[in-house]
Amino acid sequence: MIILKHVSKVYPPDVHGLRDLSVHIKPGEFVSIVGTSGAGKTTLAKMLIAEERPTRGTIEIGGWDITKIKSRDIPLLRRQIGVVFQDFKLLQKKTVWENVSFALEVAGESRKRIKEVVPHVLKIVGLDEKAHRFPQQLSGGEQQRVVIARALVHRPKVLLADEPTGNLDTMNTREIIDVLKKINAFGSTVVLVTHNREVVNALRQRVITLSEGRIISDQAQGKYLLPS
Amino acid sequence: MFIVTSTVRVLAFAWKNFTRNAWIGLATIIVLILSLLSVNVLLGVNAVSDAALHELEDKVDVSVYLKPETPAAILETARSYMASLPQTQSVELLDADKALADFKERHKDDPKVLAALDELDQNPLGASLVIKAKKTEDYPFLIEALQNPQFSFAVESKTYDDNSASIDRVQHIAQTVRFVGLILIVLFSVFSTLIVYNSIRIAIYTQREELGIMRLVGASNAIVRLPLILSGVFQAVLAFVFAGGLVFLALVFFDPKLRILFDGADPGMLTYFVNNFWTLAGIQLAAIVALVALASWAAAGKYLKK
Repeated sequence: MIILKHVSKVYPPDVHGLRDLSVHIKPGEFVSIVGTSGAGKTTLAKMLIAEERPTRGTIEIGGWDITKIKSRDIPLLRRQIGVVFQDFKLLQKKTVWENVSFALEVAGESRKRIKEVVPHVLKIVGLDEKAHRFPQQLSGGEQQRVVIARALVHRPKVLLADEPTGNLDTMNTREIIDVLKKINAFGSTVVLVTHNREVVNALRQRVITLSEGRIISDQAQGKYLLPS
Repeated sequence: MFIVTSTVRVLAFAWKNFTRNAWIGLATIIVLILSLLSVNVLLGVNAVSDAALHELEDKVDVSVYLKPETPAAILETARSYMASLPQTQSVELLDADKALADFKERHKDDPKVLAALDELDQNPLGASLVIKAKKTEDYPFLIEALQNPQFSFAVESKTYDDNSASIDRVQHIAQTVRFVGLILIVLFSVFSTLIVYNSIRIAIYTQREELGIMRLVGASNAIVRLPLILSGVFQAVLAFVFAGGLVFLALVFFDPKLRILFDGADPGMLTYFVNNFWTLAGIQLAAIVALVALASWAAAGKYLKK
């Protein structure tokens, strides 16, 4: 599904974001990428959605080499990878329904399709009852679930969640992780970038630990190894 | 169906951009109006100066007075020779009777002159030739051509109603106005392009969150870029309509006033705009839309490259 071969990223003049990183994530896996600040987690996440390009090495997603992806092909890639960020990125003047349907509107989907897909994804994240509320009328966890719903509208093969629980309390964090597990159970590959020890340990899934841009550990049913 | 849906959405997003950034857009629209007005002022001044030059040139001629006893054959030789020259536009031969009738008409309010004429037994006036050149600069050549020995002996006198000083002055003013006007058009075009470019960048900045989300969820570059370009085009069309209205009001206001300066003759401005309405409107609309679209395209492109 996702194959990184000897990927390095150097920011001028000589700041190393990633160093010779090689990873293979299989379809349907739930992988946590952990590390301290500056370990390279976000650089890696940005590379997966072509927001950053590697200095060296190759990145392949679903058989598609995106190392030197053309600008016009990036939207196609982003419809195959759902993205969830810590800071939600919701439009405050749009309702839950409008925020989710927006992703389909800008992709040129028909009204009919939008009416089919939006209720479906809102149901997956448990927000079908709050479709007409505005983001400020929702809790942090609910807002993050809206973002997850929006990320799901294109039925992505991969869901990339970069610190999705960073702004949430324990209760909301658990809700979000449950939603991600549910999505993974439907068959999507989930890549969770986090430094939340409890989340990683509770998941009992594959854990890749980064430090200073290098993989220092890759365990099938791993734990959070870094010191607090 | 996909194309129709996308087109409708692009138009809807563009309209939203246009209304949401109305105040920023107002500055753009004003500069675009000034650009269009500068072009139209130049065109108007051009039309008026052309009409003025035409009027002046029309008044220039050479009148050749021939001796009263000149035989008709010589008169005809002079007329046909002058008419055959490529520099000549027209030659009118007034015979002696017509010359006398014109003289009497000109002096109908002067009884002394008329009485003196009556004292004479015969027509004291000879025939005359009124020669018009195709170009004002050809008159010296035509005057030289009157030295032709076939009929020069019959020439009693000649008058050259020389308006060349006035023509030169009008030509000089017209050239200066054109030059200054062209500089103004270039300046306004550059300002317009820069202002449109920056207003689109401000619009991008105010919508950075929405545009960022659009890109994040897989909106194509076209669906991000086209609404920005189209909202610029809406501004251009609005500026065109306002500028058109102002030009119309200016024409209606100034035409009667210019007509007085032209002694009731057509000053040419309104006629020029009416006769060339579709061409002028089409070219100006296309030019302003192209200018705005290019500036918007460049500004949006800079954002998309980030």
